[in-house]
Amino acid sequence: MTSDSDKFGSEIQRYLDGEVPADAVDSSERAEADRLLDATADYARRMELPGPDIDRAVMASIRARADEDRKSVLSWLFQPHVYQVRPALAAAAVVILVAAGVLGGSFRDRAPTAVEAAAAPSTILVRFELVAPNADRVSLAGSFNDWQPDGVRLIQNPETGVWTGTVPLRPGEHQYMFVIDGAEWIPDPDAHAQVDDGFGQTNSVIVVGPRGVIRS
Amino acid sequence: MKHTARIVLLSVMALFVTSGLRAQQHQVRTMLVGRGAPAEFVDQVTAIVEQTEAEQLPTEPLVSKALEGWAKRGRVPADRVIVVMTQLQGRLRIGRELAIGTGMEAPPGAVIAAAAGALGRGLGREEVVEILDMAPDPETAATGLTVASALSAQGLERAAAVRAVTDAYRGGLSLEEVLEFPSVVSGLRAQGEPMAGIARRIMEGGGLPVPMGQGHGMGGQGGPPAGVPGAQPGTAAGQNKKQRGQSGT
Repeated sequence: MTSDSDKFGSEIQRYLDGEVPADAVDSSERAEADRLLDATADYARRMELPGPDIDRAVMASIRARADEDRKSVLSWLFQPHVYQVRPALAAAAVVILVAAGVLGGSFRDRAPTAVEAAAAPSTILVRFELVAPNADRVSLAGSFNDWQPDGVRLIQNPETGVWTGTVPLRPGEHQYMFVIDGAEWIPDPDAHAQVDDGFGQTNSVIVVGPRGVIRS
Repeated sequence: MKHTARIVLLSVMALFVTSGLRAQQHQVRTMLVGRGAPAEFVDQVTAIVEQTEAEQLPTEPLVSKALEGWAKRGRVPADRVIVVMTQLQGRLRIGRELAIGTGMEAPPGAVIAAAAGALGRGLGREEVVEILDMAPDPETAATGLTVASALSAQGLERAAAVRAVTDAYRGGLSLEEVLEFPSVVSGLRAQGEPMAGIARRIMEGGGLPVPMGQGHGMGGQGGPPAGVPGAQPGTAAGQNKKQRGQSGT
């Protein structure tokens, strides 16, 4: 096997390197050398590095592809399709979805955060306060937080001994009690009313209107 | 193949129905177990809730009472909680009967619960029926019952509490305005008006002063209850002691 470079002598090589003039080499060899030079120039042109517009060109190509994909998704969504479904697998999928929904209910066993509840429509922020200078901890438990004794913690003003907390509530009636130091349950003396809780104590009652609450 | 498909479809439908019914039972069970309640107590509570659901009565008041009783367990024995729940279940049954008696074919759970609550606060069956009869719709009926029982618990005579609500219905007051009544009464008391005076005013047809800005063109939003003596514009009666809540929306 011979390569093109084997065909030429050292004079031609020097010609190709530009070291000797054209008339210093054989005419037929020079013609072949010129053909090779043209081929090399053509190859160099093809291998030319992309210009500054390459980024724009690439992005345009990507956008065009994305448009095609979007059109194909929309087309898929709005065209009828025929599927084969195994009833047992479909039923199993439904069971899993239902179970997930039922189990999801257990996550409701917590009071909504102030941010969550405040974000909910038609909730009213209601301020509770209790004078308890000797308490280490005061919280609020009621129908609005599933009676979690530590559901809503109040904050103490150390100068006055007054504990306060603001709770987002839906309009309607709510029953509650203050829980002092996690053990002592006491009603709110400023509530709308006190009612028998059925357990030998009294629950405090407030009825939240759309504009809030006025307590005596 | 058709037969199989029908069986699967019916099974799925049955699953949806039973899962909905069991959600409440599952929830109270999960909550009580999570709070350390003993299995026997949890089973008793769940059985009552299950039975109540089977009777298509609302279970939320029962669940709330069970959680309340367990939260107060340091002072309340578990069997007492079951007794209270059973009594409440009985009042729910009566509440539904009363609602059906006034022409509601399928009273909503909120109406039944409100009627049971009113009965538990000492309102008589006739008084509950009077409010149900006068209410323009079930939602308003539930609110009226709740407000009447709250007014009664505030110390207003039962007759005056019921009259305040039924007069509000007659006067076309909105549900939101009726919900303001307990705050209005507290405001009046803060101004020094005795309960007997408030009751007399209601029974003589004077009603309760309607807060302004509630859709009847009686004033601007955030004003005081109309007719409260000494109230300053933009402030609410009793605000010096307790501030009105702020809208969370």
